[in-house]
Amino acid sequence: MENAGNARGYLTARDAGLVNCTTCGRVHPASDTECLRCGAALTSRDTKSLQKVWAWWAAGIIAFIPANTYPMLKTATLGKQTEGTLLGGIVELVHHGSIGIAAIVFFASIAIPASKFFAVAYLALGIGRPSRLSAHRRHQVYEVVEFVGRWSMIDVFVVAILAALVQLGSAASIHPGIAAVSFALSVAFTMLSAQSFDPRQIWDADKEHSK
Amino acid sequence: MTQSTLSEMDILPAKHSPWRNLSFVWLVPILALLVSLGVAWQNYSNKGTLITIVFQDAAGIMPNDTTIKFRDVIIGAVEDVNFTKDMSHVEVTARINKDVADTLSPETLFWVVRPEVSARGISGLSTVLSGVYLDAAWTPVTGSNARAFEGLKAAPLIRPGHEGTRIKIRSKNGTSLAPGAPVFFRGMEVGQLDTPKLSETGDSTDVEAFINAPYDKFLTSDSRFWNMAGFSVTLGPAGLDLNVASLGSLLTGGVAFENIVSGGEPVTNDTLFRLFTNEAAARDSIFTQLGTNSIKMSVIFTESVSGLASGAPVEYRGLRIGQITSIGAFIAKSATGKSKVNMRALISIDPQAFGLETDTNAEATHDFIEKLVKDGMRARLATTSIFSAALKIELADIPDAAPAVFAKDADGTPIIPSVKSELPDFTATAEGVLQRVNNLPIEEVMNQAVSLMAAIETIASAPGTQRAPDAILGLIDDARGLIGKDDTQAIPGELRSMIADLRSIVADLKNQGAAEQLASALKSFDKASADIAAASGDLPALITDLRAIATKVNNLKAEELIAAVTRVMDSTDALIGTDGAKSIPPALASALTEVEAALKELREGGAVTNTNAALASAREAADAVAVAAKTFPDVTAQLDAVISKADALLSTYGAKSTFNSETLDLLRELQAAAKSVNQLARTIERNPNSLILGR
Repeated sequence: MENAGNARGYLTARDAGLVNCTTCGRVHPASDTECLRCGAALTSRDTKSLQKVWAWWAAGIIAFIPANTYPMLKTATLGKQTEGTLLGGIVELVHHGSIGIAAIVFFASIAIPASKFFAVAYLALGIGRPSRLSAHRRHQVYEVVEFVGRWSMIDVFVVAILAALVQLGSAASIHPGIAAVSFALSVAFTMLSAQSFDPRQIWDADKEHSK
Repeated sequence: MTQSTLSEMDILPAKHSPWRNLSFVWLVPILALLVSLGVAWQNYSNKGTLITIVFQDAAGIMPNDTTIKFRDVIIGAVEDVNFTKDMSHVEVTARINKDVADTLSPETLFWVVRPEVSARGISGLSTVLSGVYLDAAWTPVTGSNARAFEGLKAAPLIRPGHEGTRIKIRSKNGTSLAPGAPVFFRGMEVGQLDTPKLSETGDSTDVEAFINAPYDKFLTSDSRFWNMAGFSVTLGPAGLDLNVASLGSLLTGGVAFENIVSGGEPVTNDTLFRLFTNEAAARDSIFTQLGTNSIKMSVIFTESVSGLASGAPVEYRGLRIGQITSIGAFIAKSATGKSKVNMRALISIDPQAFGLETDTNAEATHDFIEKLVKDGMRARLATTSIFSAALKIELADIPDAAPAVFAKDADGTPIIPSVKSELPDFTATAEGVLQRVNNLPIEEVMNQAVSLMAAIETIASAPGTQRAPDAILGLIDDARGLIGKDDTQAIPGELRSMIADLRSIVADLKNQGAAEQLASALKSFDKASADIAAASGDLPALITDLRAIATKVNNLKAEELIAAVTRVMDSTDALIGTDGAKSIPPALASALTEVEAALKELREGGAVTNTNAALASAREAADAVAVAAKTFPDVTAQLDAVISKADALLSTYGAKSTFNSETLDLLRELQAAAKSVNQLARTIERNPNSLILGR
């Protein structure tokens, strides 16, 4: 009956009366509550997923604000201390003519994290209401967000490496600012947010809508 | 079917209540929000207080870059640099840590720290690389709301917040008082001077000095300050004395103080001290301090007052009772209507010095002095010491003084009548002796001596003298030969001093009335010896002794002369004791006794010895001057070497900076000074006497 009512032309695990272990990937009958292979709890849908997504997302946004307003690097050269924020650094790079590097920094540190927020928000909002993008597209968006997430940490790695290497006493020294910590947290929160998202709900929403 | 029901059931509970299923994950954003807000609030509350500092110019001050430090700890940063409304100054806006800003006193000093090289060393070198920063100094207060300050042009030499005492030193001539010059106490650097400023009336220079704790406890109300300008050259009986304090003070000058008299109370801030020109003046000052109730008088001199200077002492019977405040000339009309320039010295007299009460008023002092004048007190000029041409005013009681009125001059100042000073009569002072020696016309003296000899020869060739023993003639011949000798004429210096000695001896003798005695004694001796001539065969021996005396006189040793005369006396005594002398008239015996008495008096008077000693020390002084002057060029050469080294060192710093050129200018001046010192030294070397004689 479910299959018959499916106008989408594909079959979900739930429709087939099955449940998938998200940990090891084994498929069980829907009645099973524990994975026979790895012992993980089995749920067809994570009901609290959306909450977690929004919670992590909010935390990520909150951490993203100081990451951009506070200094990323504190550079002390011969007793002269300069502090640079992310955006300030990008502007400075543009002024110096290094537009390429400025673009890389901009994409890695501002554009990608920001677009991730938009993407996750879009996906989360898309559940339970009609969407312009097909379910399949949205799933692709989700995969991209998941994949890109870890690369946002480049900034943090650069800061960590610089701070560790450039400690030349009074001649020059670099210390990470508050923004470095905030940025790392922000990236971690968005990754958690994306991970909390249960992509299976994309399909449910589609189904409900089509009902 | 079953599965379908299950799945339906699974979905529905999610729609129940959102609160029941609320995930604990929500704690994370809440926590993050709280932390962020906390950080933001802390940041805002720590943001600091805005203050404005007005500077003459903003040399090197960069917004957001220039920090403000206090005791080398960063307390804030410059946020903005702008002009004041009238564009005459630069207004620097800075953010200062909140807790620090609340302690800022309105007198807080801000200044720009830049690299600086001065005689006291190099400072602010770190700013060469890091750029300038603002330094601040203040005495912390609580709950201050001072927010606008005035910046200094240069680093203050005396910073608030340091332990110590701040005093003011007033100098009549601010020569060589450089900002930052050290203050010494017994050779230790205990403080420093601020920038000298002209006093409001413009007649003196005021400079603030800061004596660091704990040395400020040595400062009392009786402390005396004097100028230690680089080096000092003093000339005294011990010779030439060159004093160089330190290289730093050589360039910037310096001030020293000491408590010359004990007792004095501890001083508070802003106590005013007077700066004396040198240590001697400072030490003398305890005698020159006039009481508050000193009165002004004037003295009019018709003679030259050369050597009289303002500040010179006024003495009454050798006790200092006041000082000269000013000297001037004025035109006086004599009774006959002729205009005449007279010299007037204004003097201050301290009634306490006369033994009057400390609170004696001006009228009482005036009356007292009027009484003294009525009793014959007159003012006259006198020399201050045997080694200087400086004069003082001496108030002396002159018993037979011509009556004088205690008049008042045009501006109502009482005039103490003056008498002609005894200055030309210099016999009492060694300077007078030297002066006279210097003035002696040697040729004239030689001529006189020759003519004297001629006269003696005439006497000798006279029939009466013909009968005198040949020995006398021989003596005269010897004397003439001695005078005629080339080497005798070639040693005028010796002769000069010899004559001086003789003259002083003669003057002493004259003073003591011994000369007449001796003259009369010799006269009677002469007469007696004429009588003896035929009577005694032992006379030639006596004559020989006399000749020895003459030789001694030629050799100019007064003591030996006296000894020789004594020996003659002894032998004359012996002669008198001999049988041959039995027949000598009693007149001779009495004459000899007189001579003996006169000589004894002379010897006991000690005048000869004193004069001799004075002359000897004068000569020693001259020699010491000569020796010192010889070493002086070495000192200046060393100084030259130091300067050229400093020159070379500075030139390595790079050519064009202003500080460099300023320092070079300073060094050049120093070099010029050293050259003139060198010249002075050469002059002294060539003619050491000129220092003593003041030419």
